[in-house]
Amino acid sequence: MMDTASVVEIGRTERGRATLWRFLRGNLKGTEYTWALAFVIPYVAVFVTFVAYPVVYGLWMGSEPSLYRELFADPIYQQTVVNTVLYLALGVNVKMFLALLLSGFFMRPGWWMKTLLLIFVLPWAVPQVSTFISIHWMLNGEWGFLNNVLYTLFHIEGAHWLNDRWTALGAVIVSHIWKWTPFWTLILLAGRMAIPLEIRDTARVDGATGVRGFVHITFPLLANLYLICTLLSTIFLLGDFNTVYFVSGGGPANSTHVLGTLGIRNAFDIAQPRLGVAAVMSALPMVIPLVIVLMRKLRTTEVQL
Amino acid sequence: MAHLTRRSVLRGSLALAAAGTGTLSAPHIAKAAATTATVWFAQGFVQDEDVALRKAVADYEKQSGNKIELSIIPFAPERQKIISALTSGVVPDLFDSNPAEIVQLYGWQDRWVDVSDVVETQRSQFSETALLAAQAYNNVTKKRATYGVPLRAAVVPCHIWKSLVEKAGMKIEDIPKTWDAYFDFFKKVQDNLRKLGERKVYGLGFQVTANGVDPYNLFMAFLVAHGGQDIVTKDGKLHLDDPKVKAAAIKSAAYLGGAYRDGYVPPSAINWNDADDNNAFHAKLMVMDVDGTLSTEVAIKEKHPEWYFNEIVTHGTPGYPNDNAGKPVPAIVGFTNGLIPKGAKNVTVAKEFLKYFIQPKVIGEFVELGLGRWLPVMPALAKSPFWQNPKDPHLKGYIQQGLLDPTRPDYYVFNLAMAEVRSQHVWSMAMIDVAKDGAKPEAAIDKAFKRIQEIFAKYPMA
Repeated sequence: MMDTASVVEIGRTERGRATLWRFLRGNLKGTEYTWALAFVIPYVAVFVTFVAYPVVYGLWMGSEPSLYRELFADPIYQQTVVNTVLYLALGVNVKMFLALLLSGFFMRPGWWMKTLLLIFVLPWAVPQVSTFISIHWMLNGEWGFLNNVLYTLFHIEGAHWLNDRWTALGAVIVSHIWKWTPFWTLILLAGRMAIPLEIRDTARVDGATGVRGFVHITFPLLANLYLICTLLSTIFLLGDFNTVYFVSGGGPANSTHVLGTLGIRNAFDIAQPRLGVAAVMSALPMVIPLVIVLMRKLRTTEVQL
Repeated sequence: MAHLTRRSVLRGSLALAAAGTGTLSAPHIAKAAATTATVWFAQGFVQDEDVALRKAVADYEKQSGNKIELSIIPFAPERQKIISALTSGVVPDLFDSNPAEIVQLYGWQDRWVDVSDVVETQRSQFSETALLAAQAYNNVTKKRATYGVPLRAAVVPCHIWKSLVEKAGMKIEDIPKTWDAYFDFFKKVQDNLRKLGERKVYGLGFQVTANGVDPYNLFMAFLVAHGGQDIVTKDGKLHLDDPKVKAAAIKSAAYLGGAYRDGYVPPSAINWNDADDNNAFHAKLMVMDVDGTLSTEVAIKEKHPEWYFNEIVTHGTPGYPNDNAGKPVPAIVGFTNGLIPKGAKNVTVAKEFLKYFIQPKVIGEFVELGLGRWLPVMPALAKSPFWQNPKDPHLKGYIQQGLLDPTRPDYYVFNLAMAEVRSQHVWSMAMIDVAKDGAKPEAAIDKAFKRIQEIFAKYPMA
């Protein structure tokens, strides 16, 4: 026969279980819970199949420590890390700064400004692979458009732009900036247009025009948007493949690879898929903090543009 | 009209999830009929190659009643698809060896079905080199076995613009027969062309690059010609300590890198991929090119027949230079093999198709319909009117060099490590060190040898 203490203990356990069950059901009752399940299951299935599985599979493929020992000892990887950092630092910041300035320029009124904006957006609108291939050919040292123009007009023998690590990497960075500045300009232009007219008018009355207006009114209001765009662009650029692959091809002598192209080279040219995954995974220590900061910024509840 | 009920929505959701899971776990081939085999093959350089393959497949289907699901895929994507398939384990029944060295690379890992029974049906027909190159060392069984079925082959001839040589005031017949003198000749052609005001024509189309397979093939041709043919022997052993091998490697790096440094090679060659030298040659950027297969000639045959028949000369046999002592240099032959991966759903049909495909009449027609870009793998096929056509200026010399004269397989056949030497572009880096960075050939080769030793240490053979 149970004593009183045992009965109380059993009662507590039962209550605890019931509370836990309610918690797990999200305090939904009866049919509500069943309907919720019905709607959630397809999304969970899609998430597991197309998001969780590829990520976990990738982590598993790149999980052996020996892969990273091999990777870090590879001089091409060491160069690649330097290239990736330079590509991010210059590619993202120069592009975003230009976009910020140009978004101000395109705020001017007039039909011709709209026409100019349309032309300006073209590099972003055309397919990137064909444009990058065109740039590759334009920069060819022997028969490229650029050197032919230089020779025809000025009798100057142009450089072999893609034969040197730094000019080739420079070409990659400039190509990226050329391609993506219009897109970020449009985003920042939309941000500028969202600044209430009254604020700008009031500032103008107070004498905050031109640079002062930009420093004290426009930029503080755009700062959050600018930061989010910069973070997003950095994350996009870390996984970039096309620009390097089609402009410099990772050459000369594998000296302009970034992590994305090196991963593909290791996986398919050298036929070592795990080493390729490891190359890309080695960017995770940089990607994860960026994503965390981005998430935090996106959760900001303050009224900011 | 049916009402949407709680149960029906639940059933639908579960069915959708189950269908999704089922699709992922069971690839299409699993549902194919027992008589169907999935085959992947690299797209040809010219359309005729694909037409030839489709014809062979259609003829087989008609004859056997079996079905072949053929996917013709561009070269680079097929390579990626094959490696992805082998990594994931979801494989087709048959594909070509793209890249060529995957026979050895995945043979090491015991990933192929033994196809010696297929090869046996035509063993007497195949060249010795083809039979050798179809084998790979299996690191699980610790034995060599036949995993590839030879389908076609290629060597590296020299392609020359006769018109540019003549423009320089020289003659094709004057080209010397020994190695270094042969290539020096084209330096003189360039010098003469410069005097005539041709500022953008280079003498030599050396692929001093770290992309693709061309630079490896080029360096190996020079290495063998300079006496380094024993760098890896048939037993798979590496012989970097052999003074002849080292001297040959140094001479090769010195010549190839030196030609670039001295301005006899187009500067953009340092960043070429496998197609770029073909394009540069067609643009008459250089007088000659050392490049595998007859793709250079075949690609322009239809559009520029006058180039094919009158202006471009192929140096196979005769023409391809002897070594510096005057002895013939054996050509290194690369092969395309048919491969059946372990895990294939229909090995029986894949093998049957291969047995059909390698019949001399069928495989001979397949190669010939491809305009002769690739060589057949059976010496008897060299006698066909197609290859011996006296009106064609390229085919006879090409097949003589690659099938009838002494040949040898690539070195990765003997030791898989050499495949990684190729894909890691170890020789390329030595050439580039000399060409661009001004390194001494001895130092560049010491660095290359160190890397080669590291790579070989990864593949110990019993």
